[in-house]
Amino acid sequence: MSSKNGQALAFALAAILLVVGVVCYAAFPQKTPEEPVRLMLKSTAGKILFDHKTHTDDAGYGIACDDCHHEEQDESQSCSGEDCHGPDSDPKRGDALHTNCKGCHEDSGAGPVECAACHIM
Amino acid sequence: MSSQKKLVVAHAPYWHDGSKISTKNYHIMIAALPAVLMGISQYGAPALGVIAFAMACAMIWEVVWNLILKKPASVGDGSAAVTGLLLGMLMPATAPWWVIALGTLIAIIVAKQIFGGIGFNPLNPPLLALAMLVISFTGIFDFNESLRHYDLGFVMTYPLADLKAFGPDAISKFGLGDLFMGRQAGAIGSTFGLGLIVGGLYLMLRGHMRWEISLSFLAGVFITALLFNLSDSAKYAGPLFHLFTGYTLIAAFFLVPEDSSSPANFIPMLIFGAMAGMMTVLIRNIGAYVDGVVFAVLLMNLCNPLLDKIRPKAIGKVVENA
Repeated sequence: MSSKNGQALAFALAAILLVVGVVCYAAFPQKTPEEPVRLMLKSTAGKILFDHKTHTDDAGYGIACDDCHHEEQDESQSCSGEDCHGPDSDPKRGDALHTNCKGCHEDSGAGPVECAACHIM
Repeated sequence: MSSQKKLVVAHAPYWHDGSKISTKNYHIMIAALPAVLMGISQYGAPALGVIAFAMACAMIWEVVWNLILKKPASVGDGSAAVTGLLLGMLMPATAPWWVIALGTLIAIIVAKQIFGGIGFNPLNPPLLALAMLVISFTGIFDFNESLRHYDLGFVMTYPLADLKAFGPDAISKFGLGDLFMGRQAGAIGSTFGLGLIVGGLYLMLRGHMRWEISLSFLAGVFITALLFNLSDSAKYAGPLFHLFTGYTLIAAFFLVPEDSSSPANFIPMLIFGAMAGMMTVLIRNIGAYVDGVVFAVLLMNLCNPLLDKIRPKAIGKVVENA
């Protein structure tokens, strides 16, 4: 192949790849799925990768949505109830997650309870 | 006979396989295809977008540089396309377009053209670009975070991140067969071990790549990981895990043996590869970064001129104007 043909081939390749790249980025943007697969929770004690799908899927632990998400709960119910985040609490997200996650793991005897087993320090 | 000097040559063994630079670069692209196709089959259009955009951007930056400096167009040699391809292979499928544009700019202009272009770069261009991106945008290169929306039917946590954060107990869920066949989370073109090895063997057999560097790098990774594992298997993973995860195999066959940034003599090549492999495992096991390949290879790139001072004694003696 002469160097002139090589240049022409390279320019053609660059043009095709540019079109393919732009089309892929434009037509297939990154979308957040309606129901998360995994969540990367961020805290001052390090990131936590939470496998949402395994916890909610029927083939996994099958936990119901409102076991954790209280957005649609009865307003008369309190977050600080004995059964939820502990008495006399005004739980922040970290407190709620600690109580809910660790509590369930301890009750069921499965899943991590040590700090460094979840937090990526 | 005229006493005028006809030819002045420097040291170093020269190695010519009769083909042109462009031929070699197109062969490298062919060799990378199995690993790239596996990445695209797993992550779909986003992965294709990253690879295509990275190659296109790299070639465009090279053309722009040639135009600015009024130099003859060098894009036809395929070097920029290979640089773009390799950088794309090291990226997650979720890499935004501007990271690709910035990364290829660093690889082509900062890592290569500023030093004089092809053959003059002291550092591996895709790796220098990746190192700067990893330091600047940690979230994008945290594969656990960037691939959190993907469920491909196998364990989707990044194996080296699990090892670093939770120790060898956490990696028992990864089968070596799965890791080897690309059933692991990671960069687009760096997870399919079988494909990378086939590509590497193809390049070795065609004479486009120095087997001495590749094999000594793999031996360096294997032996160092084995020694760590033997010293405390509860704390350090086994050698095969290190071989089949992260950037190990793509580095062994496509990055470490890069011509300009690696030695030319036999003994230096072995030292270069082995030390890069050793540094990789040292960084993974006791360093701060999850994967040590990038910084290990760049560090050894810096040692390259020094290593090439170890060279064979010239046979005979030089006779002036012979």
